[in-house]
Amino acid sequence: MITRGVLADLNDVATRMTNTQRKMSTGKELTRPSDDPFAVGRAIGLRTELDGLTQYRTNTAEAQAWTEASDTALGTLTDIAHRGRELLVRGANGTASATDRKMIADEIDQLINSAKEDANAVQAGRALFSGTATGVRPYDMTSDTYHGDTGDVVRTIGPGVSVAVNVRASDVLGDGTDGKMINTLRDIAAHLRGGTTADQTALSTTDVTALDRSLDDLLTARAHIGAVSSRLSAADGRLADLEESSRGLLSKTEDADMAATLVDYSMQQSVYQSALRAGAGIVQASLLDFLR
Amino acid sequence: MPISTFLGLQTSLRGLLAEQRSLDVTSHNIANANTEGYSRQEATLQTADPLALPPVGNLGSGVDVAGYKRIRDSFLDLQYRTQAMQVGAGTTRADGLDQVELRLAEPGDNGIAARLNSFWGAWANLANQPESGAARQGLIEEARTLSSSINSLDAGMKTVADQAGDELATLTGSGGELQQMGRELAGLNGAIRDAQTVGGQPNDLLDRRDLLLDKLAGLAQVSVADNGSGSIRVTLGGAASPLVDGSNLTWPAPAMTSPGGQIGALTDLSSSTGTIASYRGDLATFAQALTTQVNAVYNPASGTDFFAYDAATATLSLSPAVTASSLRAGTGAAADNSAARALSELRGATGGPDDLYSRLVTRIGTEVADARRSALNATALSNSIQDRRQSAAGVSLDEEMTSLIRFQRGYQAAARAMSTTDEMLDTLINRTGRVGL
Repeated sequence: MITRGVLADLNDVATRMTNTQRKMSTGKELTRPSDDPFAVGRAIGLRTELDGLTQYRTNTAEAQAWTEASDTALGTLTDIAHRGRELLVRGANGTASATDRKMIADEIDQLINSAKEDANAVQAGRALFSGTATGVRPYDMTSDTYHGDTGDVVRTIGPGVSVAVNVRASDVLGDGTDGKMINTLRDIAAHLRGGTTADQTALSTTDVTALDRSLDDLLTARAHIGAVSSRLSAADGRLADLEESSRGLLSKTEDADMAATLVDYSMQQSVYQSALRAGAGIVQASLLDFLR
Repeated sequence: MPISTFLGLQTSLRGLLAEQRSLDVTSHNIANANTEGYSRQEATLQTADPLALPPVGNLGSGVDVAGYKRIRDSFLDLQYRTQAMQVGAGTTRADGLDQVELRLAEPGDNGIAARLNSFWGAWANLANQPESGAARQGLIEEARTLSSSINSLDAGMKTVADQAGDELATLTGSGGELQQMGRELAGLNGAIRDAQTVGGQPNDLLDRRDLLLDKLAGLAQVSVADNGSGSIRVTLGGAASPLVDGSNLTWPAPAMTSPGGQIGALTDLSSSTGTIASYRGDLATFAQALTTQVNAVYNPASGTDFFAYDAATATLSLSPAVTASSLRAGTGAAADNSAARALSELRGATGGPDDLYSRLVTRIGTEVADARRSALNATALSNSIQDRRQSAAGVSLDEEMTSLIRFQRGYQAAARAMSTTDEMLDTLINRTGRVGL
């Protein structure tokens, strides 16, 4: 009876020591669902949440790369528009000769080509300004037709929060017939070459306003991209905070408190040793030892 | 009435014999100190029939051994068997559910929760790069991994249930433990009845029968009724007729309505309406919900289902229409990711797959912890009853050593009384009538 009791107690302490040892070696408070079913359920939920937040940060970084590439290309396009306006002013000046005007018109043709090249910019193999038809470049060099679509490139940057990160070339450069930048530049080149009085008048009136409108279009597009970009940075900061706090919460739920575990372990060890000693003492003594 | 001169010798002899028998019983106790199920015995001594000497009174004529008593508390036996049944049921259930829990591999990087996270992550990656072939391939691999881990968890649970079924069949089948115990019990019943009919006290046979009943109680709920003349009737698990009646064994065993014990736990684990089956049901609900919710978003975008769930075989698989080239992130052009975004948003959705799965894990965890706790409780209780039983029926070596001294001294004293009588008779026979010699 005493033997059984001592044995049961020893086993009990040994089991508890094994558990503590497992906590120490894994660093985890929870190694199986039955350790604490509700905490394990919560840990699974927190891990899902944490993985989701990490994913949103990846999405945000991806969207940021897209906006940065777009912004660079739009910057170049703005430079082109400014150069176009400079040339227009020079061409509209009554002192320019026909040869001068023709040279200016040739340069404007080149400007149109480089604008189309810039609008054909790609990021990681995807055309930035084609809408959702990222597989095709917006323009080819033979015509002014826009080959993209009007779709939005959307990224999810938070639970239920999505943002369109693209600018379509059709909105800033147009398709050559809609009064946008390419159309305007083509008109300017034609007026410069034409050289009639009506052309001269158009150069200094309607063409100037049209080109200013195109510049406005570009500025609007850049402002949009800038706003998206700052929204993305803000979202990333917020996501980083959330990630931090939910990582902390997860760690609090499933990680072992090392100090407490170590104290537990050394206490159980001493209990085990004293149980062993007590067992050895009790089991030895018997009346047999004292009878002669 | 004249009294025999040699009466004293006879009285001493009775004393010697009685002390000797008591010593024999003590030796028997010491020899069986570690025999499982042995109950301490004791020689019951009583005064021998006295000589009636009217009008003086009665003259004592020594001692007789009236019988050999087996010291045992049958009430504690009943309590012990109830607990033994709980221990059998509790430990078997805890062991079985433990295996189910191990197969969950939660919390960890190899569990279904982690696989689900990677799956949603793969959709999000596809949403970021809807044009990318690598993202499609990655998603398809993640979906395959997820469905195969769900399928293998189900198969794992089925294996645990099947193993319990096999164990049950071995236990209760022909030639199994139950049949052997029943046969032995019937045999012992016959032997005990025979011994008691001729007035014997088959203490050791009774011990063996009690031990057998203790063990049987671990297997199933045992009820014992007395048939008289030492034979008993044993009914298992609320069956309509007894398994053992006297020396007759009914085989195959009568159907049990509430088996309890190890058999009860194994029945529950292996049954198609039992605990494991209900876990598998929950897992199927989860797989079904995953299929429905993913398809509900994916199908309108691409015209085909993403997952296919076969309820009959409980198998989740990727729909055959889904390949790396046919996979769609959205309805429209290359960069349309509406479906992929909506699917990645299913991660952690209330009532979504993650929710259902974590509920299943919590449920299994709670029930395993519960089973383990009740097994421990039952073991502790049965140990304490066993201790109490041992304090009455068990052999205490200290006590036996004391008895040894007591009976040895008693024997010595009886021998001294005999030699005193002998010396007295020597005086009478050899020294009298020798006047003048």
